[in-house]
Amino acid sequence: MMKNKALITALCAATALASPAFAETVLRLDEVAVGELDPAKASDYADSILMFNVYDTLVLPAQGGPGHTPHLAAGWEVDGSTYTFTLRDDVMFQSGNKMTAADVVYSVERMQALGAGLSYLFAGVKAAAVDDTTVTLTLETPYAPFIASLVRLPIVDMAHVKANSDSEWGEEFLSANGAGTGAYSVTSHNPQEETVMAKSDSYFLNVADVAPDTVRLRYGLEPATVRTLVAQGEHDIASQWLPPEVVQALAKDGAQLLTESGTGGFYFKMNTQKAPLDNVNCRLALSAVFDYGTAIQMIAINDDVSGGSPATGAIPVGMFGANGADMAQAQDLDAAKAYLADCPYDPAEMNLEISWIAEVPLEERFALLMQSNFNEVGISSSITKLPWALFAEQVSNAESTPHISQLFVNAVTGDPDTLLYGMYHSSTPGTWQSPEYLNDAEVDAALDAGRTATSDAEREAAYSALNARLMAVAPTIYGFDRQSVFAASNRVKVPALSDPAMAFGLDGMGFSFRLMEMTGE
Amino acid sequence: MSGILRLLLNRLGISLIVLVGVSMLIFAIARIIPGDPARIALGPNANAEQIASLRAEMHLDASLPVQYGHFVADVLRGDLGMSLYTNRPVTQDIAQFLPATLELVFLAGFIMVAFGLPLGILAARHRGRWQDHLVRVIALLTVSAPGFVWAVILMLLFAFYLPLFPIAGRISDIYDIERTTGFLTIDTLLVGNWAAFGSAVHHLILPAIALSLSGIGQAARLTRANMVETYEKPYIEMAQAYGFFPSRIARSYAFKPSLIPSLTIIGLDFAAMLGNAFLVEAVFAWPGLSRYGVAVILRKDLNAIMGTVLIIAITFLIVNIIVDLMIAFLNPRIRYSTRGAS
Repeated sequence: MMKNKALITALCAATALASPAFAETVLRLDEVAVGELDPAKASDYADSILMFNVYDTLVLPAQGGPGHTPHLAAGWEVDGSTYTFTLRDDVMFQSGNKMTAADVVYSVERMQALGAGLSYLFAGVKAAAVDDTTVTLTLETPYAPFIASLVRLPIVDMAHVKANSDSEWGEEFLSANGAGTGAYSVTSHNPQEETVMAKSDSYFLNVADVAPDTVRLRYGLEPATVRTLVAQGEHDIASQWLPPEVVQALAKDGAQLLTESGTGGFYFKMNTQKAPLDNVNCRLALSAVFDYGTAIQMIAINDDVSGGSPATGAIPVGMFGANGADMAQAQDLDAAKAYLADCPYDPAEMNLEISWIAEVPLEERFALLMQSNFNEVGISSSITKLPWALFAEQVSNAESTPHISQLFVNAVTGDPDTLLYGMYHSSTPGTWQSPEYLNDAEVDAALDAGRTATSDAEREAAYSALNARLMAVAPTIYGFDRQSVFAASNRVKVPALSDPAMAFGLDGMGFSFRLMEMTGE
Repeated sequence: MSGILRLLLNRLGISLIVLVGVSMLIFAIARIIPGDPARIALGPNANAEQIASLRAEMHLDASLPVQYGHFVADVLRGDLGMSLYTNRPVTQDIAQFLPATLELVFLAGFIMVAFGLPLGILAARHRGRWQDHLVRVIALLTVSAPGFVWAVILMLLFAFYLPLFPIAGRISDIYDIERTTGFLTIDTLLVGNWAAFGSAVHHLILPAIALSLSGIGQAARLTRANMVETYEKPYIEMAQAYGFFPSRIARSYAFKPSLIPSLTIIGLDFAAMLGNAFLVEAVFAWPGLSRYGVAVILRKDLNAIMGTVLIIAITFLIVNIIVDLMIAFLNPRIRYSTRGAS
């Protein structure tokens, strides 16, 4: 008996020695587009996920509410157009270098020099290091949401870049390597396959043990592949670009549905320079005839979760100036007929071109819905499929811009200015965001007021006025407020994408891996 | 100079002309595809100044012949330019992605030959009987559905319902193999990691089968048709009259002359797999050159398009030369006609 006990004890001890103290946890997720590792070129969703995990920013959006909290900065002061930031003195880059004010200056200048991604947010900003832990950022012109813009200014390790690159800005090096302070460092980056990241030991904040040890961000997986991988337990979070049917199937199989909302919308943009949409009554008629309810049903995943919520006006719910939920847009055929009566063009002779982006097949369904709605009031239309590249070129002048263009647009900093200024200010016509070619003095004034207002109350008033004016001149049919839906396995918990009190209100930041929890299921 | 060497030099000369022609054609076509490459490269938020600057840097404002001149000069220096899709040199991308596709295509080609030819021989030997009918049905089934349909079906059957094979990628995540050749089946052996080798082969099987199926059907149908025709020849009748075993007649007298047309088609099929592999690569998340080729075309990444097409064209030409040499080896009349012509 004693002999057996000793044997069992020895076996247990051997097993314990042979097994690691805990198994390494791996989070696997995917994105359609290849992630751009260079933070100065980051613009889309995959880029943002990489940027928010490999790099840090001076501030972070507050979770569950408006405003921003210090992050790499310990605090800041504002004096007119000069922002003075005091940096934390305990932040190390993944290379082991200490982060200083010189790195902040380098990061601003690098963004401006490369002129890619979202660098336009920092055009005209002058950065200067006062000492190692103090940096000033001076704006050419007052810009109220500047603090919000800083969530798009990742701080780069200047010494590490210069040590590994012959060029001043190290473009080639940073396209394949990380040089940030982030909670995750880049282990490998294969643009055709995946970027692998590992939890950094030197992060300046505490990261829970349950956060994933390794993250594999896969690129370009087909929906059928994702569906099979998730079902087989080989994938954790699917991208938001899966067709609704696949998300529904995954949800039926027991996948949890994570959501991110409040940052943008789905828009039908009307070319206000082209007849018959150069007349406000004609545009108002189209806005009234669109069947918003059916559009929402088309993107519903189940009774509780949908890819969008009803738009209540020109500004998504949750942003400055948004209307209340009781003002949800709805089809009103009587109003449409009344507007059409005041429209100087004959509906029977209108032939509206409705375009949809070839890379987003979902848009074809909305084009068909719209065509059917227009038929109800005797307006004929044709549907055109446009590859993104061709669309971007066509909208560069009003004549070649289709009557109606469908677009998902989001506020890249979470602030309404980055959603609305590019769409509607008369100084920015002919971009992919502004195929409306709107030129309205009241809209311009409200947008400018939103940039210069110094208090939240003033900004709320400016954007409320803007919202009302946009609804009156109707350059756009506001389809729905967008909500991104991600099907995920139950091996991971993502509070920032499942608990509104923990949400950041900024696209991609919910994928901060350090805040996720691997459940071990 | 031997007939084979003369044939080889002849084919190399023709291939060079074809290569120059292909490069000019693709160069022109790539620039006709709608969309401004500079605008696409810089992203949706770029302003007109930035776009103009990149256009100048890429010589897009120059005339087509001048642009082509820049391209040829760079190629002769071994520089295919930077990819706007991956932000890396195109040569680096090709070096990374080509081995993945070649590894897949080699195995698919092997499966195509290993199953296509025997099935064709079997059908011809038993022409008009149930074996023949069965092979013809199988061949028709495999030819009539494209590779990506088979990819999805195989994935559903053997990775989803019966989880026998992996779903995506080239090797299990747990292995970190140093890439020496880029062929994971070779690299895993070079480091002596048999478990990783097993994983690499395991990952190869489903995509290779999916890619090879239509080729199997085509090879089987062609081999059968040629052999049935050969069986009608008087010398086969004579061999039968001598009482030779059917297997010997099939192997020594019917198969060899029937192989020549099959070989030509198999060679073309093999080379075509390089371009056709993209959908199979997409379904199995296989990081190969075909998938890369499609991605760069959609983004109008001019340098990468040129690099990818040139590599596929070169591979196509090499395979054709090998096939021509094999045919010449099998058929002395071709060797001698080449000598006579010269």
